[in-house]
Amino acid sequence: MATSKCSQAGQQLWAKMPKVGGYTRLCFAWSVIGFLVHTNSSYRITHQANAELFALTYGSLVTELVRDHEDPIEVNKQLDKIGKSIGVRCVDEFLAKADVAGLGLASQCQSLRDTAEVVARMGFRMFLGVGAECGAFSQDQKSFSIYFHDNPLSTFVELPPAGDDQMGDDLRKLKYSNIYCGIIRGALEQVNLKVDVTLVQCTLKGDEVNEIRVELKEVLADGAGDDYKEE
Amino acid sequence: MSRNASNNILDRPLGFRATPAGRSSDVSSVSLSAFAYVYSELVQYHQGRAASISELERRLESAGYGVGLKVLECVAYRGKEMKRETRLMSILHFVSSSVWKSLFGKSADSLERSIDNQDEFMIVDYEPITSTFVSVPQDLGQLSADAYVSGIIAGVLDGAGFSARVTAHNVQVEEGENSRPPTNATPGMPRRTEKAVFLVKFSPEVLERDATLER
Repeated sequence: MATSKCSQAGQQLWAKMPKVGGYTRLCFAWSVIGFLVHTNSSYRITHQANAELFALTYGSLVTELVRDHEDPIEVNKQLDKIGKSIGVRCVDEFLAKADVAGLGLASQCQSLRDTAEVVARMGFRMFLGVGAECGAFSQDQKSFSIYFHDNPLSTFVELPPAGDDQMGDDLRKLKYSNIYCGIIRGALEQVNLKVDVTLVQCTLKGDEVNEIRVELKEVLADGAGDDYKEE
Repeated sequence: MSRNASNNILDRPLGFRATPAGRSSDVSSVSLSAFAYVYSELVQYHQGRAASISELERRLESAGYGVGLKVLECVAYRGKEMKRETRLMSILHFVSSSVWKSLFGKSADSLERSIDNQDEFMIVDYEPITSTFVSVPQDLGQLSADAYVSGIIAGVLDGAGFSARVTAHNVQVEEGENSRPPTNATPGMPRRTEKAVFLVKFSPEVLERDATLER
């Protein structure tokens, strides 16, 4: 559909162009072809990396954090911080790719409900290749949950059982996938939504599903970039 | 409930993500940028704690070492022939083909033996994903962002009983050396001018043992 619309528009433009010289027409044709080829290829070919290498790399990062900080609460904080710096950057890529794919997010995200749908359905699919669902909206529509079963970060991972020894008991407080919270927080902050994100359920702790709770604190005014501080 | 029965990680299929309905999803890749984000954070974290370039490389290597041990186990279990590599050349082939394929989806570009030293081998990759999208700032000059991969190689080799010192180096690609089109590059991105060379230096006892097996 998009292609036929494009080609119609192209024909109309072409018809309006007889006055200009052949060279300009040629250039114009090439740029259109180039644009189409580029759009199509960047939409179709999504570069991929091995999910296991991804999981193991994240694992080595978490292990290092646990080794350096010892207190799992501190590790959770660090993971959240690391996630935020990812989120701040990945929102750009997300918007660019969604735009190229012709999804028109600007008109789509009118309410937090729409935003939740986009984050869960498209965000997770685009970066992690897994599907996620959103639901459990609160009465005032200001908080929601994201549910997903497959967690690419936790392949191969097992947390030490509770009460095993002092260290093992301690590590039960570790939120292994806490990086998601930071990512979502960072990404939504870039689009002027200040949110609180917590990892509520985690399959690593024996829960049925992974659940991330997102709570809207405030909608920032435009120009929030000014008070962005280096952490 | 079947879910509870499969909750123990040891009972689940290796590496596949178990899903509640028991269907195992065949999704085994994530977007390259997702990996790049996490890897960049890993490097940044270590960079903040390392005082010098060589310390940063050493830290990345040690981060990769544990990964290498696990990768060896994983690849060995999945291998069809269930064979343990005992010879020097075959373990190197194993690393540059099987391990490389399972991690990066392709074989390493070449495997060479050093002319000067008997105990040194080189695994060459023209565009490893750990450094293709990395530009090293001036003040970190000699840093190779592939140190993580060299740590993985060291982990695999050590786990297989071939202790070795593995280091990553950036080497200028010579004119016309690599004629293949880039596989991972974004359209419009200039071709890489440097390749990654992983220098594998085996311990003397490994060479001695291999010489004994020769007879």
